Amino acid sequence: MAKVMKREQPRKMQPPMTPMIDCIFQLIIFFMLMPNFQAGEGYLTTNLPTTSGPVAGKQQKDVQRIKIELEVPDDDDKSVNIILNENQVFGRNFGGLLAALQGLKARGLAADHPVLISPWMGTRHKWVVTAFDMAVAARFTNIHFAVPYD
Amino acid sequence: MAHVKKKSANTGAVSMNMTPMIDIVFQLIIFFLLTSQFQQLEIEQVTLPMSIAAMPKDPFQFRNVVINIVNPDNPEVIVLGRTMDYRVIEGDNELSAYLKDRKLSVIEGGEKLNVILRADAMVPYEAVASVMLAAGRAEIQGWWITTEMEKDEDKKR
Repeated sequence: MAKVMKREQPRKMQPPMTPMIDCIFQLIIFFMLMPNFQAGEGYLTTNLPTTSGPVAGKQQKDVQRIKIELEVPDDDDKSVNIILNENQVFGRNFGGLLAALQGLKARGLAADHPVLISPWMGTRHKWVVTAFDMAVAARFTNIHFAVPYD
Repeated sequence: MAHVKKKSANTGAVSMNMTPMIDIVFQLIIFFLLTSQFQQLEIEQVTLPMSIAAMPKDPFQFRNVVINIVNPDNPEVIVLGRTMDYRVIEGDNELSAYLKDRKLSVIEGGEKLNVILRADAMVPYEAVASVMLAAGRAEIQGWWITTEMEKDEDKKR
């Protein structure tokens, strides 16, 4: 009796997929989380400067505003010199500015008493933001920014 | 004659076909790669100022224009990767014209345009003021200024 030899089917080579899936899921999770690695950013909401809005050119109401001037020292253009109400000079001491603003608030000024931040030409953006922070920390809510002047 | 039950030939373990799954996973990877690149188009590398008054907000509830002010020594305004002229001049400058167009197209869609300013901490403030004036020409009144949120323990006064 003749024997019929069956040809063996060649085995299909299949690479192991499981480790590959694991790596790919790691990549997916990494890219999903990646945008969150940035430092926490927040936002300050502000409104249009009054020099170019509907009240541009009109005389502002004569109110005794609290004026915070930010001057650029001659010897260091990256630094700042803080002047409050044209008579109190704090140098770069924002803590002193905060204490002075809190003192003004304690004397009975309302929270919506106008505060004007008036930076000189060349004042760095960060000092203006810090001055704004001090006014907010002193619980003032009506804070304006002047357009820089020489 | 006894019947001998033959074992079924199909007794192999059930295995999933991995190839379509790999395809789908690669599609997802490509999607996340591209979306992260689109988000970064709007944002330039700047060192933001610190602020204790800043609050986290969700910008995606509005249609946004992100205005970046970079290069403290020679401030440049960059919007969607494109440098724009923002100098205060008679009539519209490039930035104010762009903001006007964007505002019109957003309003036509029944939405509100929100302007987000990302200025480097060391740019002169007059650059920020010039950008605000350009936005004023486009009659945009609401702004968000981006800062890093300062935690109480990080305060250095």
